[in-house]
Amino acid sequence: MLTRLFSERALIALILLLIASALTYSTFGLEFADLGGAFDPTFFPRIILIAWMALAALNLIVDLRAGTGWDGQGILRVGIMAVATVIYMIFLTTLGFFFSSVILSVLFLLLLGVRNPLPIAAVSLGVPGAIVALFNHMLTMPLPTSPMFWWI
Amino acid sequence: MIEVLPQALGLILTPQGLMVLSFGTMLGIVLGALPGIGSTVAVAMILPFTLTMDQAPAILLLLAIYAGSVYGGSISAILINTPGTPQSAATCLDGFPMAQRGEAGKALGWSTIASVVGGLVSAVVLIFAAPQLAAFALNFGPIETFALILLGLTCIVSVSEGSLVKGLIAGMIGLFLSSVGGDPITGEARFTFGEFQLIAGFNLLAVVIGVFALSEVLIRATKPGDDGATLISFQGIILPKLAEWKGRLKNLAKSVLIGNGIGILPGTGAATAAFISYAEARRSAPTRANFGKGEPDGLIASESANNAVTGGALVPTMALGIPGDAITAVMLATLTLHGVTPGVRLMEDNPVLMAAIFSGFFVINLMLLPLGMMVSKVAAPLLRLREAYMLVVITLLCTLGVYFVRGNPFDLLVMALAGIIGFLLRRQGYPMAPLVIGMVLGPTLEISLRQGLIITDGSFAAFFSGHPIALLLAIAALGMLSLPFIRMWRTRAA
Repeated sequence: MLTRLFSERALIALILLLIASALTYSTFGLEFADLGGAFDPTFFPRIILIAWMALAALNLIVDLRAGTGWDGQGILRVGIMAVATVIYMIFLTTLGFFFSSVILSVLFLLLLGVRNPLPIAAVSLGVPGAIVALFNHMLTMPLPTSPMFWWI
Repeated sequence: MIEVLPQALGLILTPQGLMVLSFGTMLGIVLGALPGIGSTVAVAMILPFTLTMDQAPAILLLLAIYAGSVYGGSISAILINTPGTPQSAATCLDGFPMAQRGEAGKALGWSTIASVVGGLVSAVVLIFAAPQLAAFALNFGPIETFALILLGLTCIVSVSEGSLVKGLIAGMIGLFLSSVGGDPITGEARFTFGEFQLIAGFNLLAVVIGVFALSEVLIRATKPGDDGATLISFQGIILPKLAEWKGRLKNLAKSVLIGNGIGILPGTGAATAAFISYAEARRSAPTRANFGKGEPDGLIASESANNAVTGGALVPTMALGIPGDAITAVMLATLTLHGVTPGVRLMEDNPVLMAAIFSGFFVINLMLLPLGMMVSKVAAPLLRLREAYMLVVITLLCTLGVYFVRGNPFDLLVMALAGIIGFLLRRQGYPMAPLVIGMVLGPTLEISLRQGLIITDGSFAAFFSGHPIALLLAIAALGMLSLPFIRMWRTRAA
């Protein structure tokens, strides 16, 4: 059972079931004015969450029976890209669009196997630069700017 | 609609209007030709560029991107055997063999004419069917609306490729996400867990772009190393001569009809239409023995059907506010951003704008012929572009798209997380279209259900006893839901 559960597919199915269960449970602890029936703010979401929970339980059974393994191909690379994307989104407004985008582009290109420095420089500087020029200076729709250089 | 046509044409037939239409169509063709972008991501990527534009040109630009990208998908399908959009997957079957024997220009000629005819007929269907449907639905109360949305939600069944249960789970996630934030009746905050940003709920576009575009970037990053495709020699489009159409017009007409019919049905989409039409042509065409070996009838069937879907799919989207698939869900979200709320009152409230959009859609499809011939030559060399560069561009443009909608950094974080969750779910076969459809239809479903229950004093049975339209819609919804089970039962019995 445990070995079957330790497959990527079954693990995701289990997580989905746990999330649905936790959210359903949380609807009983929410404090609202006691209006009851269709006036209750948790009326609709509770129906949806119970349906989600039932489907997730069925799905878990199916995925446990299927018992597929792990597909680790490229997962480290994607993991780094995913974390970098989250960090990029967090720092975009403080570092400015241009700087954060240049760093992200260089990292993405390297991770995706581009080794020639010329295309790396051209894409990572050219694409964010063109976007900044277009939006900040032509369309006058300002993107977040860097605290060091106000024009980019 | 006819009475406001002169005003509507006044909006389109201006230098700015025509420029928007032609630029949008050209850009759509190029973006559709690039494998991995697809119509949904193309529209989402271009959205921020339209935010400073007026309503009519902005919506027409997005429609041009949509129609252009569906046609553009055939360029890569024929030249590198990789469909630029899923809608063009059936085009590979006969397009690439034709290109391999040195007839790439001719193959694109057949696909261009078929796409233009399919698109034009679908524009006519949109012009006539959408106002009728909207007029019919104008008197719907909350109970009928609930039944209608329920029917719309059943399209989750048909867009759930692979596993129905996984599709339904994705749909439930979408419905749940739509309920996060202020309650529509009492205003109390739900599932915000103390995060004030969540009081307004999740931004639909941030979630859509995350689960479609960003997750696509991550999925493609698992298998990188593509140094650009090998391109077959292509000197430009060669249109088929009139005599060559002899015996093929019946196939064209049938495929256009299939595309339009399927387009109007929620959830089936252009890829399904192309394959059904291809299968039908393969069954009935006199040239059936040549299918799969470079037969123009195969190209005609798939390309006319997938373009015929575009207008048909917009009928329920515009008239009822029910998106049939992911791309129409994104279109719906973008229309809302531009201050246009699709639904039964749309035609009543914005007759000139709607007439401009519908007639503009006709012009876009008309433009596909000259622009397709012109742009395909430019787009072909782009197919050699290394995928890594494209992934960087997609990520940056998606970030812009989400940032410009509300200027809220929280939406960017939502997009990133939606992208990562979308990647994890898609890897395990959870389709993302049901999630988006659930999120789009969720608010209307909730409000109509609760209003209906308040009207009927909490009796759900009363929803269908005194409301024949609601009953009919509910029966249709049940029928749609049971279709896969009937199909499964018939397969087992056979």
